[in-house]
Order: sequence, then C-alpha cells, then structure tokens
Amino acid sequence: MSKLWRPGHAAERLGVDRRLFLRAGLAVGGGALATVALAGCNSEGPRSARGLLAAAERWNEKVERALFRHRAMNVAPTGAAPAGAKFPSYFIADEVPVWDEKARGTWRLEIAGLVQRPVRLTLGELMNLPRTELRLEHFCVEGWSAVSVRTGVQLAELARRAGLLPEARYVDFQSFDDGYHESWDLDSALHPQTLIVYGQDGRVLEPAFGAPARVYAPVKLGYKNTKYLTRIAFLPERNGGYWSDQGYEWYGGV
Amino acid sequence: MATTKRHHLVVRITHWVNAIALTIMIGSGLRIFNSYPAFARKGESFCCYPFEGKKIPEWLTFGGWLAGARHWHFAAMWLLVANGLVYLGFIYLHGEWRDLVPRRGVVRDAWEMVKFYLALRRNHPHQGKHNALQRTAYFAMPWVAAAAVISGLAIWKPVQLAPLTHLLGGFVWARYFHFLAMLMLVVLIAGHVFMVFTVDPYALRAIVTGGYDDARAPELRNARPFVNLLARPRVETSPPPPAPEPAAGTQPTDAQPPEPSPPGPPEES
Repeated sequence: MSKLWRPGHAAERLGVDRRLFLRAGLAVGGGALATVALAGCNSEGPRSARGLLAAAERWNEKVERALFRHRAMNVAPTGAAPAGAKFPSYFIADEVPVWDEKARGTWRLEIAGLVQRPVRLTLGELMNLPRTELRLEHFCVEGWSAVSVRTGVQLAELARRAGLLPEARYVDFQSFDDGYHESWDLDSALHPQTLIVYGQDGRVLEPAFGAPARVYAPVKLGYKNTKYLTRIAFLPERNGGYWSDQGYEWYGGV
Repeated sequence: MATTKRHHLVVRITHWVNAIALTIMIGSGLRIFNSYPAFARKGESFCCYPFEGKKIPEWLTFGGWLAGARHWHFAAMWLLVANGLVYLGFIYLHGEWRDLVPRRGVVRDAWEMVKFYLALRRNHPHQGKHNALQRTAYFAMPWVAAAAVISGLAIWKPVQLAPLTHLLGGFVWARYFHFLAMLMLVVLIAGHVFMVFTVDPYALRAIVTGGYDDARAPELRNARPFVNLLARPRVETSPPPPAPEPAAGTQPTDAQPPEPSPPGPPEES
C-alpha cells in the first residue's frame, strides 16, 4: 500500500484533524455498507437472510413437534357464537368446486399408500362409520378465528381400519380443487380431533366448505386442512403442499 | 477528563441486538396483523378496538407478504428472547439492575421530572445515572416485553398451550393483549429515542463505546427537550493566583485564597 494512502497522510494533505478524518471515513464506509445491504433487499428483507429463515423454520418445526400432545384439545369458548354463514370459505379454483357425478362418477374417498388394506369409501360408507361431533375454534393463518361444529370420522379410526403400516410417517390430503393438497406429519393426523368431516353446524357440508368431505383438524392452521377431499395417502416422506410450496410454513400447527 | 464508563459491553451489545430484533418483530407483526386487521371472532363483534378492519400503512410493515412476515416473526422471536435473557441475566449478576428498580419516592421524582420537562420547574432534579422517568421506562421495558412474549406464545399455540391461552381469556383476547403490548413497546421506544436526541445525545456515545462525559450530563446542562441540548463550551478558567507567600516571621493563617466559582448549574435568579 502506498504511503500516501495511509489515512494519516491523506488527512494531513487535506489539512483536517486526523481523528475527525478517521471518523468521517468510518461514517462513509458504514453508509456504503448499509446501502449495499439494502440494495440486496426486497420487500421480504435481505436475500442473504433466506437461509437463516429456513433454518429457523426447521428449528421451529422441531419445537412445535416437541410441544405437540395428543391430549391437548381444542375447545371453543363457551360463550362464542358460531360463525355460521360468516365463516370465510376459500378454494383455489375459479369457482366453487362441485363434484360432478355425471362426469366423474360416484365420489369416493381413497385411503391409500402405506396401508395394508387400501379402501375407497363412498359418502354413505363414510357416514356409517363411528361419528364424532365437535364444537371447535378454527384458527386461520391470517389471524382470525371462528367457531363451528364439525361432524365426521376420526382419521385415526380410518387409519386403524385400513391397517396403517409402521413405515408411514406423513400423510398427504389430496383434493379435486385444482390439485390442492397439503401433507402433514402423522402425529397431527392421528390427533383425536382430526376428522374427515362431512357435516358442519348440524347440516351436510356445503360446497363452499369442502363438500362432499374434507379433512379438519383444529390442531392445524386452516390452510393445512384440505377441502374437496379425494385421496388420503400415507407416505414415508413429506409431500409439500399447495401453500407450503409457496412459502407458508409446512408444519402449520397451532 | 470527566469521561466515565457508563455501559458494559454486554449491555451495549444486547441493546443493539434488541433494537434490531424489536424492529423486525414489530414490522413483521404489523404485516401479519394486516392480513386480518381486526380482533373480532368471525360472526362476532369486538368491544375494544376502534379501528377494526383498517390496515396499518404498508411502509410501517416488514416481510413483504404474510408468509414472509411470519418467517421473520418466528425467527426473530428467538433472537429477541435469547438476547433479553442474556441482558436480564447479566444485569442481575453484574448489579446494573440496581440502576433500574424503582426507588422509594420514584413517583414523586418522576413527577418532578415531568414538571421540569414541562418547564413548570426551573432546575433539573438531582439524578444519578438515570432520572426517575428513565428508571421507570427501562424497568417497565422487560415487563412489557415479557407480556408480549407470553401473549405471543398464547396465539402461536392456542391448542398446544391451551391453558395459557385460556388464562388470557382465549385466542381473541390474547391476540389483543399481544397488540397492546406491542403498542406499549412502541410508546416506550418512541419516548426513549425522542429523549435521546432532544435531551441527551451524548448518551449515544455511551451506548456505542461505553464512554460518557459526566460534565455533559443533562442535569449539569439543565437540559429539557430542545433546551440546552449542547454542552456549553467549557470556559478555560485561569489557574487561581498563587497564594501569597506568608511573610517570614508571621504566623500562617487559616485564610484561603478565594475559590473560583464552580462551573455547572446555571445561576438561579
């Protein structure tokens, strides 16, 4: 390095106080660094943070799985009014997905993957299985909650009947709503409040809420609960999901 | 030199880590809030929030979209909590907590500070490291932060931590308390930053390098917001005239040379 470029020399040539010169240099350097850092920044924050955020998500999933208990129950507050028709309904297709029997035949729910006896249940067969009715508070990723009564069959019961194999670690819930699906950890799927729901608020499930049947677990955020269900696949590996693939947490537990 | 060391390295580092973590938490939290900028459960109304449905201005938010903001929120929460525990553990073991816990008469002392800041009192009340308002604010900060963390846990895991959520009155109230705790933090931070820049900018040096020039303390400047912000240039007092040599043979007397008037508090009229 040339002697001339030592800060002391440069400061002398400019005739300013050395300390002041050093401070000014630090300030300019800091400002330049901050500018560079912000330049690598979009509205989601610095790109360099992505790896860190992904690591935090993996860590959080570990914490959430460690916190998870099958005995932790969702109990709707006693005084809360049911949302009824004010319950928001989402789907990804352009219009409310409705199963067209003429075009697609009788709707059946397929239970497949790592099970000893894969089955395809009609709605009638599903409704003849042991029925569970629960009054639950729903938690949406957006921050709202809503109370409703859900009627259906425990998924744990369906899994028992199908003969779940020990290699199964994950479950994928697939739909006829433009390929919407979300996969879960097996633990959450076998929670006693995880239901395959065909009734809401004492009535048959409406198309807006996922008819003929949908998965509903009050231990998962709303987006993990696939509506318009067609297939439940028990898997050795996770299989992402419609929203999880776009950046929402895959675990999505509450 | 009147410079003393004011803040230990641990306090300085945790202060700035906290500043970053809180900025991320508040910005991303507001972005999450904007996805449902209300508190009412669907199908119900909510008593206690006058701005139901009104979004926070986007420029105050961080994270870009709901999923991005959630990732930042659930990552920075660990930084916030870990950093807070390091800070609290340090001030407990190292003794700085004594500068922060309320002393006897803190309410009266804080009121005197308010009176001084509102120019209802002429002179700065006597203070040590922090005045009574500062002590109160710095003491409140960890408690409000703890309230934010606890209510945050309650809305993060309303089923797995159901007893906690229930204790706070359910998900809707826990979410409201989380929002209120954030607002209180914002008020404390805004007051803190305002006072630093309008009363004691020399404290900036103390929280970066640790050094503080006690001769420039607000008490000695009689500083209130925007008043006596800068230390007066120190008047170089000429050394006192040498004491007259006692004449040989006379008894030494107790007479002292006249003292120069002490620098410092402005004269009372």
